[in-house]
Amino acid sequence: MTQTLILIIEDEASLRRFLVPTLANQDYQVLTAATGTDGLAMAHGHNPDIILLDLGLPDLEGAKVLQSLRLWNHKPIIIISARNQEQDKVQALDLGADDYLTKPFGAEELLARIRVAQRHGTQTAAETPVLQCGALRLDLERREVTVDGAPVRLTPLEFRLLEALAQRAGKVATHAQLLNEVWGPEATGQTHYLRIYMGTLRRKLEPDATRPRYLLTEPSVGYRLNAD
Amino acid sequence: MILASSNKEPPLSDPPPASADPILVAMGSEARTLRLLHTGVRMARELGRPWIAVHVAVPDWETANEEEQARVWLQEAHNLGAETAWVRASSVSEGLIEAGSRHKVALVVMGKRPPQGPWGRLEQARTLEAIRHSLGARVVTIPLDPVPPGTRGTPSFKELLGIIPAIAVLLGLCAVFAAALDHAVGFPGVPPVFALGIGFIAHRWGRAFSLPSSVGVLVLYHWLFASAPFPYHTEEWTAILALAATLVLVQMVVLLVDRLHWETRALRRQEAETLLIMLLGRALARCATAREVAQVLVERLQGLFRVQAWVLAPGPGDTWVQLPEAPKAPSSPRPSEFLPQFSAIDRRELFEPLFANGCSYVALAGQGGGEGLLQLRVGPGQPLDLESWGLFQSLAVQGGLALERVRWLEQAHQARLDAESERLRNTLLGAVSHDLRTPLAAIQGAATSLLLPDPLPEASRQDMLAMIRDESERLARLLGDLLDLTRLQSGAVQARKEWQMLEEVVGSALQRQEARQGPLPIQVDLPESLPLVPMDGALMEQVFINLLANAHSHAPHSPVILRAWEEPGAVQVEIADRGPGIPAEFHQRVFDKFFRMPHDLKDGGAGLGLAICGAIVDIHGGNIWVEDNPGGGARFRISLPLDGDQLAPFQPEPLPLTLEDAP
Repeated sequence: MTQTLILIIEDEASLRRFLVPTLANQDYQVLTAATGTDGLAMAHGHNPDIILLDLGLPDLEGAKVLQSLRLWNHKPIIIISARNQEQDKVQALDLGADDYLTKPFGAEELLARIRVAQRHGTQTAAETPVLQCGALRLDLERREVTVDGAPVRLTPLEFRLLEALAQRAGKVATHAQLLNEVWGPEATGQTHYLRIYMGTLRRKLEPDATRPRYLLTEPSVGYRLNAD
Repeated sequence: MILASSNKEPPLSDPPPASADPILVAMGSEARTLRLLHTGVRMARELGRPWIAVHVAVPDWETANEEEQARVWLQEAHNLGAETAWVRASSVSEGLIEAGSRHKVALVVMGKRPPQGPWGRLEQARTLEAIRHSLGARVVTIPLDPVPPGTRGTPSFKELLGIIPAIAVLLGLCAVFAAALDHAVGFPGVPPVFALGIGFIAHRWGRAFSLPSSVGVLVLYHWLFASAPFPYHTEEWTAILALAATLVLVQMVVLLVDRLHWETRALRRQEAETLLIMLLGRALARCATAREVAQVLVERLQGLFRVQAWVLAPGPGDTWVQLPEAPKAPSSPRPSEFLPQFSAIDRRELFEPLFANGCSYVALAGQGGGEGLLQLRVGPGQPLDLESWGLFQSLAVQGGLALERVRWLEQAHQARLDAESERLRNTLLGAVSHDLRTPLAAIQGAATSLLLPDPLPEASRQDMLAMIRDESERLARLLGDLLDLTRLQSGAVQARKEWQMLEEVVGSALQRQEARQGPLPIQVDLPESLPLVPMDGALMEQVFINLLANAHSHAPHSPVILRAWEEPGAVQVEIADRGPGIPAEFHQRVFDKFFRMPHDLKDGGAGLGLAICGAIVDIHGGNIWVEDNPGGGARFRISLPLDGDQLAPFQPEPLPLTLEDAP
């Protein structure tokens, strides 16, 4: 199997200095670009498997780079952002980014996100209809959900919501994306729908709804189905 | 048409007949009807009665336009709460009696115009009496057409003593002249002479004197020229009739000219009012604060009406803020008591003044509601006539709108300031968090990477450890700068000024900078005659280090020249490089904290160095600025005062300072 090629678009030299050897040591092939323009050129030239994109680039807005990339490239993109502003992250995710990391972040977290992205990158062809996360088992084809082998009854809306999360298992799904897929494009502002249905899903699936293990909240951004 | 009356009615404030019968207001079609409308509303509200606005349409009396206008006034009355009626009748009095008896009115309000024609006065009185009699109601008349300025009033007895002999002498002269002409050319010469005389009298003393004078002329002619007492000869009859006809003609011409004059004056007055309102509007448009608006408004009103005026705005703690401030201004009832009286009736529609403490008060209202009150003290014996009130109210409307505009302006300005400071705060916060977070992210990333179970190659391991060291240094430097700047700008640091050799301070800075960055291409040019300078050595050393580091990072290999010279009262230091220079639009902003040149892709500092320089020079009472170095590059200049006092703020022109500018 060929090495996974990762493109890092990041203007801070110090971060590149830590990212490159860390990823190289994990048998990834690494390319770096310090500006958005260079990054776009290298993405065209090398067609990397995963892109790590910093939102605070000096020459181009991160969102612009993302838009340009998504015109033709459908490989996983992970946003790196020093800004704590949720709006930028949500915007990037809605524009098609797959996941995000907020600086500062640890090496394990980075590697975990890259593994999830890698899995999805290969899964797109042959989708696995069955998902097993701990005691939770989800069969999308037969529309069956079991916890510890015991079947759980879900309403059609609850199932569609769980399905939408499962399709991005391990990655974050923004409020807007979930609302759009489950309730339709008119409902994108109605985050309270989500909160209510997530509440009932957690009560049905989680051993302790106040300490969720499968259905994790990403504050102000969205939700994530914990795939590990 | 509005009926006229010469009756002396009791004032409006007299108690009305005690009943709840409605008030009837007879509406016309002319512009002055507005005053009737306002009187109707006021009386209806004061007496707590319903009111009916009636227009009597007399066939073939009004033009289509006038009828249209009358309907507009009725609509307006309807908007102000009146019941309206349109009555067709053969005369106004008939129509009013018909409408009045249908509604059992107790009070009829009518307009009063100057009587027309010799029998107008009588006609008016008869109409009024008929209405009063048929309805058993009181009739109130409101003067509609005020006398324009310049119209002659009734002459006093003393004036009469002068006028009558003058007229007698004039007529005597005319008689002598006419007799001479009669002798020379016969009777045709006589009437023109007397016509001239009567015309002159009418012109000089008014119509009131020309009519008796005409009768006098006829008597004079009879006495001087008739051969015998009655009966005359046929030709004498002809002559006296011809003379009488001439005099009647003169009277008619005089009447027409008089009316023309009257209308011209009324027009001029309207024109003047329009002009006044326009001028006030223009003056108010230039005002930027409520104080200025009040000043302009009050000045105009005082000039126009010879009254004292103040603008009252509700102030803190139930008091009025009186503009312009006047120590002897009469006091006013407190806002909490007074304002409800204004809002009780819709003052915005009517502008009827309220009275308290010997002053009149008019609400100054804009579109959005009350902006304050206009307080008015009228001098004794100079009451404002109705016409002046009309103009006064128009000006008050302008004042209210101007006050409202100014208030909105201030609100908009405040909102802009708030938004700007909010934006600035966010920018600063963003810059600080970015600059702190980036080295921290690198350190955390490297540390966690080193701790991963798969060991890194030795070279990478070393590099990461070095990176952790570098980034911690960067973080420490940034935090130090940030703390320094905060202490400097908050005033927590005082410059401990001592008389220092500039050479020593610069030398120390150079030494430290070269220890850090290796030998630098810096040429130092300090004259030996340079005096000692009062400064805090440690702080000023930091300034030179920052400036040299700045020059080094933006123009790495260019020669830098550090010069200093004495000027009256100050020492000037200059650090000039041959780098890319700084565009003029950033000359001020480079000293702002966290300012970095746009598109500065180099991994430079946090944008604090020059801000710190600015703050240090500032607490020395000096100035720091940057200009273009002639021949390329940037030139930072520092001016430090020699006497230790604050230097005058830097003025870029003229340079260098001349002797006259020295303190």
